[in-house]
Amino acid sequence: MKAFRAAAVTFAIAVLASLPLWSASPYLFELGITAAVFTVLSTGLNLVYGYTGLLSFAQVAFFGIGGYAAAILGVNGGWPVFAGALAGGVLAATLGLLIGYTSLRLSRHAFAIVSLSFSLLCLILARDWVSLTRGPMGIPGLLGPAVPLPGTGRIRFDQPAGFYELMLLYALIVLAIVHRLVRSRIGRAFVAIKLNQPLAESQGIDPLRYRLLAIGVSAFTTGIAGGLYVFHLTIVDPSIFDFYYTETMLIMVIIGGPGSFWGVVAASLAFSAIPDLLRFTTDLRMVLYGLVLIVAMLAMPGGIGGWVTARRRLAVKPA
Amino acid sequence: MNGPLFEVRGLSKHYFGVTAVSELSFTIPAGGIVGLIGPNGSGKSTTIDCISGFQPADAGRWFLGGDELTEAKPHTHSAAGLARTFQTVRAYDRLSLLDNLAVAAQAHDGVGWWAALRRGPRLRESEAAIAARARELLNIVGLSEYAEAPAGILSYGQRKLLAIAAAMMTRPRLVVLDEPVAGVNPTMIRRIEAAIRELNAGGAALLIVEHNVGFIMNLCRTVIVLEQGRKIAEGAPSLIREDPRVLAAYLGVEPQAAADG
Repeated sequence: MKAFRAAAVTFAIAVLASLPLWSASPYLFELGITAAVFTVLSTGLNLVYGYTGLLSFAQVAFFGIGGYAAAILGVNGGWPVFAGALAGGVLAATLGLLIGYTSLRLSRHAFAIVSLSFSLLCLILARDWVSLTRGPMGIPGLLGPAVPLPGTGRIRFDQPAGFYELMLLYALIVLAIVHRLVRSRIGRAFVAIKLNQPLAESQGIDPLRYRLLAIGVSAFTTGIAGGLYVFHLTIVDPSIFDFYYTETMLIMVIIGGPGSFWGVVAASLAFSAIPDLLRFTTDLRMVLYGLVLIVAMLAMPGGIGGWVTARRRLAVKPA
Repeated sequence: MNGPLFEVRGLSKHYFGVTAVSELSFTIPAGGIVGLIGPNGSGKSTTIDCISGFQPADAGRWFLGGDELTEAKPHTHSAAGLARTFQTVRAYDRLSLLDNLAVAAQAHDGVGWWAALRRGPRLRESEAAIAARARELLNIVGLSEYAEAPAGILSYGQRKLLAIAAAMMTRPRLVVLDEPVAGVNPTMIRRIEAAIRELNAGGAALLIVEHNVGFIMNLCRTVIVLEQGRKIAEGAPSLIREDPRVLAAYLGVEPQAAADG
């Protein structure tokens, strides 16, 4: 089973990575970039919400902070894209730890409220702190590094195919890190805190420390994603803090099954593609999207992850 | 070590002007089994919530092995060697029994986050030792056959046994049991009692809060009786059984009438 899974993952990565070799469709690259970015975002939310039980509305703020930091450092400070994105990740993680530390001393509900306020505050700052962010007009003219993808010589990072490879690589790194984390005993402690916090505390597990770790990792990876993604959008403006991102991440985590690593990855891929697959009917698009959501929730109340677990339990139950 | 293992001095707690616990002091010797009894609302649960860090006390101090824990958080109490169970019995329902016990132990083996992520020999050795100890404890409490099953399938009495085993996984010097046999059938009570005796033989001291007076009298060497937050008696079970103040508190008899027989 383990060998089969390893082979399946390797095969999937090989197919995804070789996409530019057998397709030149900018549409496919665009879809791939969206899917990679949302996989990173929803995996970050899954880490905080699915594993440690903290409903975080701050993920979009971490995303936007990363984007603005990389853009401002790049345009005003001449920082290279990767250094700017990294700095964006560090800034997002620092602010995440700050709101986490202050609000979690009260309760996890306080964290939900503070994280929501924090995202709104970021939106307001992006719109109104014009001297830093250029206000509603945003910062245009962001271009990816015009360096070729190592080993290809032809595909550059500032082209869709190159950027697709970059985001694919980044998403794989994030998935590897988060997978390692949640499958370790640290992940076991995350789940314990979510399932029964007083019991975990009585057993010597400090919930604050573990939750801050989850918030820190999640904010860092989400911030870097924002820092890279704006160079594909070529512009960063206040709409990067839009509720659309929060809503999409939540849909992916809930349909995937909070606390299910592969379930959320699967839902991220599916729900990156579904809106595009429904393009054939512009009028009914959102209606159908809603219908897919309702059917998914009815058929799989525990998300994809919960559905798979239930199937497995049935399979091992003696007849 | 000189002096008692655990010492409480002058613990007081009020809720909105109502006194829950008032100037309660007691000690527990290393390896001792102390019972805490009293009518409903006498302050037993408040006492153990305070001394395990779950409720801030209004006054009083407490020490485990000479270290003060008065202001400490629950997880610090656990790190110092104080384990507890809960009246509304708690478990990680979705995790297997083995994982329930492994979680309980993992904060106590000194393996840090980095070592946990590296998955080096140190972590593997420690996890193997934890798994072995978990199986041993499941054997003691008689739940071995459910080792891989999720805790959610256990009966109420079995969950109480699992909670005792989980408390033991934290390598405690003192285990506080909050109503270990309330609502449990007589057969299960005997199993719980046997498990408690076996764990005490392994070196842990116990503080047991319970309504089942027979269970307490049978198991404890010292019994403390609370009424309206105050300690009204303390001593060996045989003495407590005949103490007129205790009879009054439990039976509603006037102390004088009770003394007269």
